[in-house]
Amino acid sequence: MMPTQTQLLLRTLLFWAVPLLLLALPLVTNAYVQFIANSIVIFALVALGFNFVIGNLGQLAFANTALFGLGAYGSAILVNSFGLPWIVSIPLAGVAGAAGGFLASAAALRGIRLYYLAIITLAFGELMRWLYVHGKSVTGGTDGMGLPAQSLFGFSLTDDRAKFYIFLVVAVLLFKATLNILRSRVGRSVMAVRENEVATASLGIPTARIIVFAFMWSGFVVGCAGALFALHTSYVFPESFGMLHLIVSFAMVLVGGLGSVIGAVLGAAALTILPEYLRSFPGMEELFFGLIVIAVLLALPDGLASLLRKLSPIFVERYYRE
Amino acid sequence: MSNLLEVEGLDVRFAGLHALRDVSLTLAPGQIMAVIGPNGAGKTTLFNAISGYVRPSSGQVRLRGHDVARLSPHAIAEHGIRRTFQNGGLFPALTVLENVLTGLHAQTEGSLVDVILGRSRALASERAMIAKARDLLSLMQMEHMADTRAGDLSGGQQRIVEIVRTVASDPPVLLLDEPAVGLSPLARDQMMDIINRMAGEKGVGILLIEHAVELVMAGADRIMVMAAGQHIAEGTPAEIREDRAVLEAYLGHA
Repeated sequence: MMPTQTQLLLRTLLFWAVPLLLLALPLVTNAYVQFIANSIVIFALVALGFNFVIGNLGQLAFANTALFGLGAYGSAILVNSFGLPWIVSIPLAGVAGAAGGFLASAAALRGIRLYYLAIITLAFGELMRWLYVHGKSVTGGTDGMGLPAQSLFGFSLTDDRAKFYIFLVVAVLLFKATLNILRSRVGRSVMAVRENEVATASLGIPTARIIVFAFMWSGFVVGCAGALFALHTSYVFPESFGMLHLIVSFAMVLVGGLGSVIGAVLGAAALTILPEYLRSFPGMEELFFGLIVIAVLLALPDGLASLLRKLSPIFVERYYRE
Repeated sequence: MSNLLEVEGLDVRFAGLHALRDVSLTLAPGQIMAVIGPNGAGKTTLFNAISGYVRPSSGQVRLRGHDVARLSPHAIAEHGIRRTFQNGGLFPALTVLENVLTGLHAQTEGSLVDVILGRSRALASERAMIAKARDLLSLMQMEHMADTRAGDLSGGQQRIVEIVRTVASDPPVLLLDEPAVGLSPLARDQMMDIINRMAGEKGVGILLIEHAVELVMAGADRIMVMAAGQHIAEGTPAEIREDRAVLEAYLGHA
């Protein structure tokens, strides 16, 4: 079932109503809940960007965490070494992520696919981590680097509630832009490459350019998320960008729903909240986390987003708009 | 210039295999030329070489006098030579409408920045293309299936959507690789009817690989016969029926 015109209108209203309602969230949270909410916003962006390459473009590229780190370190370096205001570092961190995505796409363009692309991009991630550890003079090495207190137009950005507003605005902009892309000829081409690359080229679509773009957009989104993360934890160190982070963000994409935009939010929220509840089972947290992820994927191979689609056709994603 | 497509001396070599030897053909607007021949004759290789998926070792492919041989597949498609695939080239997870829209990619306006920012320039062009895609689907009585996943269609419907997608951009030349394979007799007739209309009404020059001999004899203006990578005969269906070389290619040397 596809949504009707009224339902499409409702969906647009919902898209704007949810962040508007979330503006009131800091009024009802305590410091702990607010910190978790901020993490969810950032991880929703991480999952959105990751999903663009593995879900929409359909390439097994695992450079995501490396690009996230590039954004976080990029932001911290711009603030610390170049004295830029943090807010200005967000788009620049996005550009750094996009540049990293461009490098990753070079591998995909050389015809390296599937497992080979997976292992090359994993190696790229480890290489970046090596750079963070050994680039001591710039990155602070294993000790990492802190971010000095930030403010915006005279408002202090040290409180998690204040940070939340900025994070929310950046997230809404990036989600909106990603939806704009997916519902255009560009997004359809990205998915066409996933479905059948040979046939895509036969329609006059420059597949190589589409692949490069998808990697760069993914990198841009994740790079911006990295800049948010730098302020969120006000400290970046290499261990934040390791294999564990990669696996968790991969799980977020799958639990939310491969290729689904709303799934990125659901997956990020579910897998950020879950460990908090598992804290009451010390020693068993990782085990339960793994088991729950497996159970969800067995029960819902198309992720949590497929539940919403069953609930209402409002949540069926269409890749055009009239 | 009366010739739309001219293929001259096309040669394709794979490692240890001379897949196409000195093949030439010409196609006029509105003409349907069938390419027939036994398995392994080089019919699909000919299509791959014309559409850029296989790089010819020598020879020319001219579209309205411009040499397009050795361009990339997407560039050749953009010049106006479009093709379908033997195994079906639809995007199963996309809907019928979205599939047809991918065929209009090059016609859709608006820069990447316009798209990302959702500017009205990009949106207006999108809307025009959606209207065009819906019109094309209704010509095939398929408008009610616009929002169906392409992968959920029957085999015959998939073939028709693939053709709609391929002709959406009004290409002057169409290469159809076994469009009727696996179709019921009724669907086959419908398919042949669609192909005839495209040639007759829109003046599309069509190269058609087809195994069903009765279909080819009834539908094609000219037939080109291939065997072992070579062009061995060409003529009207009536001429081909009488040709000795053709009989030998199919039945072996007596």
